[in-house]
Amino acid sequence: MNSVSPSAAQYLGGGLQDEGLASHPDGYRAPARDPRGHFGYGSGSDGGREAAEEPDEVDRLKAKLMSAWNNMKYGWSVKSKTSFNKTTPLTLLGHSYLLNHEDEVERFSRTFVSRLWLTYRREFQQLEGSTWTTDCGWGCMLRSGQMLLAQGLLLHLLPPGWAWLDGQQLTDVEFEILKPRSPSRSSGVSLPAFPSSRPTPRGRGGTAEVSKRAPVWRCSSETSQDRQAEAMHRRVVCWFGDHPSAPFGVHQLVELGKSSGKKAGDWYGPSIVAHILRKAVDKTSELPNLTVYVAQDCTVYKEDVMRRCDCSQSEGSSQSGSGWKSVIVLVPVRLGGESLNPSYIDCVKNILRLDCCIGIIGGKPKHSLFFIGFQDDQLLYLDPHYCQSVVDVTQNNFPLESFHCHSPRKMSFSRMDPSCTIGFYAKSQKDFESLCIMVSTALSSSKEKYPIFTFVEGRGQDYGLEGQSGVMPEQDAHIQPRGKAGGGKRCSVDEFVFL
Amino acid sequence: MPALDKPQQPKPFKQRKSFATRRQEVAGIRSKFPTKIPVIIERYPREKYLPPLDKTKFLVPQELSMTQFVTIIRNRMSLMPSQAFYLLINNHGIASMSLTMAQVYKDHKDEDGFLYMTYASQEMFGQE
Repeated sequence: MNSVSPSAAQYLGGGLQDEGLASHPDGYRAPARDPRGHFGYGSGSDGGREAAEEPDEVDRLKAKLMSAWNNMKYGWSVKSKTSFNKTTPLTLLGHSYLLNHEDEVERFSRTFVSRLWLTYRREFQQLEGSTWTTDCGWGCMLRSGQMLLAQGLLLHLLPPGWAWLDGQQLTDVEFEILKPRSPSRSSGVSLPAFPSSRPTPRGRGGTAEVSKRAPVWRCSSETSQDRQAEAMHRRVVCWFGDHPSAPFGVHQLVELGKSSGKKAGDWYGPSIVAHILRKAVDKTSELPNLTVYVAQDCTVYKEDVMRRCDCSQSEGSSQSGSGWKSVIVLVPVRLGGESLNPSYIDCVKNILRLDCCIGIIGGKPKHSLFFIGFQDDQLLYLDPHYCQSVVDVTQNNFPLESFHCHSPRKMSFSRMDPSCTIGFYAKSQKDFESLCIMVSTALSSSKEKYPIFTFVEGRGQDYGLEGQSGVMPEQDAHIQPRGKAGGGKRCSVDEFVFL
Repeated sequence: MPALDKPQQPKPFKQRKSFATRRQEVAGIRSKFPTKIPVIIERYPREKYLPPLDKTKFLVPQELSMTQFVTIIRNRMSLMPSQAFYLLINNHGIASMSLTMAQVYKDHKDEDGFLYMTYASQEMFGQE
């Protein structure tokens, strides 16, 4: 009964129709990448991959098939709509929206659509040292990382509350009055326009679809500030372009991941990506007033952060006197063993309520997502699993549309993978100090006895082993030689090791 | 590099020994070293990136902080500082690094008298 809306057809057009493969999604399985073959540290050296000898044609076909497969599998499918509850607030990056009124929906739409959306791309310049010309199928965590950094950069460089003037209306959404137990997706009646704010009496009846695609926020009187902001917006997008010279493009990120033992085609984790982002920001000269701090062992050492921010203290700083650098604080965590420990859910919600939070990179198992908010028991996310053609960002007025998403998606907290990295941004020293207090408060709400991470005065090295009386780390590493597990040494295994 | 999850993972400590034996072990060691805490550290069963530890049972000074404890274990595995490493108490929750072993022990010791911890890195993400 659902007809294909023009916007949905456009979505599809980008991925499937021009591949001519839409009708055979299962006819091809993308080459399985075995994540176990690649270590997160050391040098994984499984040499040249099989594809090295294959002609370009095959690669290109492979890429096309893979992107078609991806788009099919991770489905921006035509019929699926995301339902939003009109009766409980939706949180998006520190702001709350009650979607029972057209103005609020408008406000939410503007904020959502203005976030940068970075997805798989195909047919970009070959990644150095590999035959890859696409990141489809392996680069999703890098893309999520890009989105996290991009959110930090928007806060850093654009005026507060900035929204993209040419942003389009949301598509594939409906707004409902949900009963507590009703499923999140329904086949409710879609109305052509948003109804009045008055809730309809029936539980499921009040659905509405917003399907206009015209840019609605550009008013005739464009100010010079608007033009400035727009130029900056475009510049930020440029930095994420898929070519080797872009400071935060996939080429640069893959290059910086090599020292962590990663290479093109590998899978990445939220912690490795946090370190890659730190290196990328350190390396670029575009952002002299920004630094990235990555927490280790779930601890943010405040003095270490301050030293990164304070230009008079940071070593090798060429531009002295510029005072205080803004900072992106990234905290890699693991919120459970096999699955998310449910007692951390409230804590994650509280973090997403903070306006200093720039989002969380994580995902469902094996499927990275960028989490930016929540409603009820569902996380709101941007999904990088959509394979788009590369955009040449070096051209003036390159199209921005493919870098913004107008189709918000949600998933249940229970499906969240426990591995993730949480991001924060503080513009000034004062902001950082209040960030520490606000985040600590948000963290203390955990139902678990201990918070998921902590802020600590001083430097990391103060808490290490140096200078601790009576504690001597044993130098001999007791790592079991590989291939010689277990067997015959039962009693020695069972002895206590004295620390 | 070959995957490390291939070698047979030893059975969990709790399955190797009966409750009575474990309890006896704790009682024995605690009477000899009352200020030290008996800790069992095991690899998360699905861990793919961190190496196995050759030892399971540790006797840890009670005033040691979690940070110091983690540093010792990291050193034993020769991990780089940026390598993800998490100790989960009872395979469940993260322990705050500023706590001492005595505090963690008080809050989370098992009925048998050991403190159980699992170590894990982070999962990687990509297309299945």
